[in-house]
Amino acid sequence: MTKKHENYRELVIRLAKTDFKLRYHNSVLGYVWVILKPLLMFTILNFVFSSIFNFRNSGTPYYPLELLTALLLFQFFSEATMTGLTSLVSKAQLVTKIYVPRWTIVLGSTMNALFIFGMNLIVLALFFLFYHKIPTLSGIAMFVTYSILLYILAVTFSFLTAPLFVRFRDLSTIWEVLLSVLMYASPIIYPLAMMPVKYQYIILLNPLAFIINFAKQGLINNSFSGTLHVVLLVLCIICAAVISFFVFRKYEKTVAELI
Amino acid sequence: MKNNTETKNAITVNGVFKQFSIPHEKTNTLKGVFINIFRKNIYEKFYALKDVSFEVKKGEFFGILGRNGSGKSTLLKILAGVYTANKGSVEIDGLVSPFLELGIGFNPELSGRDNIYLNATVLGLCKKEIDAKFDSIVAFSELERFIDQKVKNYSSGMNVRLAFSVAIHANREILLMDEVLAVGDSNFQSKCLREFARYKEMGKTVILVTHDIGTVQRYCDRAMLLRNGEVAKIGTAEEVGNEYIYQNMSDEERRIEDERRKIKVKQII
Repeated sequence: MTKKHENYRELVIRLAKTDFKLRYHNSVLGYVWVILKPLLMFTILNFVFSSIFNFRNSGTPYYPLELLTALLLFQFFSEATMTGLTSLVSKAQLVTKIYVPRWTIVLGSTMNALFIFGMNLIVLALFFLFYHKIPTLSGIAMFVTYSILLYILAVTFSFLTAPLFVRFRDLSTIWEVLLSVLMYASPIIYPLAMMPVKYQYIILLNPLAFIINFAKQGLINNSFSGTLHVVLLVLCIICAAVISFFVFRKYEKTVAELI
Repeated sequence: MKNNTETKNAITVNGVFKQFSIPHEKTNTLKGVFINIFRKNIYEKFYALKDVSFEVKKGEFFGILGRNGSGKSTLLKILAGVYTANKGSVEIDGLVSPFLELGIGFNPELSGRDNIYLNATVLGLCKKEIDAKFDSIVAFSELERFIDQKVKNYSSGMNVRLAFSVAIHANREILLMDEVLAVGDSNFQSKCLREFARYKEMGKTVILVTHDIGTVQRYCDRAMLLRNGEVAKIGTAEEVGNEYIYQNMSDEERRIEDERRKIKVKQII
């Protein structure tokens, strides 16, 4: 069957823009929420963990910066995966009433999180200025690399789960719970160095924790992980991407009937 | 297929089967799946389409008739690529602009304007083309005053008008039309039919699914009658329309006969 569609790029971007428009479309503050939401989360967590648990004095002088960087990365991941997971169901009208290549729907949905993340990075830059902390060039390069890897990971997850979510609507609830587990299993609110060394390795087995930890370490402390570890991470993500590609190919065919 | 003397086929459908499983208990949860591993799966197989084959030539106006549940919409969804057939092959030469189930994926929370942009992009137009065609799309739908209103506030007629207008401006070679004429008023209907005629002149293909025999007989070149998922007749619009009328009448007669018999049985009892 011939199913040609001339401009996928424009289609994906249009879908993402629509999502972005709809995200806060009935709220008074509108797009301000894009920046306000992570800032509020940051303020609360920073207050609790800086003043009460006092991580700042235990060897992490730039705790607020570390917290904000990690939080933005985590929220980027959680937003991208959550919208990606539910993308096919929430855009049911595009699945059942018309033929659009389904991958454009999934990709377009995750891109919304990318927009938001990009805007939040401006806020992050302002925070760095405020704390008089200028990251090194290699630190920024690694941060960008890790952000890209994180996005690929989120997209991979979305392609794997979006067609499955059509069948099993429990997945969104399960993932919501798992996301909060992941948040505490990653060095976001606590510095990794606080953990005993043997646990550090276990924590870093989780790709999300690995990415978040070394993205912020590179940016703030100019310290990096070994090359081998990065290569392993990339290989893992490639494997996952291949698996999710085939799962998606297999299950997307019947999506329209099951929605 | 590359034969220059004859007109090429726009659509070639060969032995298509479409099967739906109707579960007696829909399992939409993981728990349900785990329970069902131990239980035998109870579902019924239902063929919405059975061995459907037909061809539509380029530039033809093809009608599909049939009663409710005869598989018309399923067939159209397969042609549009929304469903995949279980068996058989579907070949389509050209881009398809589908118009299924009274509307093409409008988002109710967006304004008419945004929906035009969204749907035209979905149908493969780029921003420049949409900008150029925007006024014409709005003018055809006659929704100038309401274009910045959210689509959820539109009436069903307005919805269909807008969707149809986008669908015909998409400039694709094949138009799939499912019950377009059912909602619009007679003015809009005749406008649609004029548009179809213009399409035909441009050598494009229109497939029209409808209950309205009059429309099929007046405008379609050829038509197909579906009955319980099978092709009952393919031929000129005139023949197929008459066959449909005949079938409907005999169905109706049978129903009345059945009823009469039931009453008789009751009286005897």
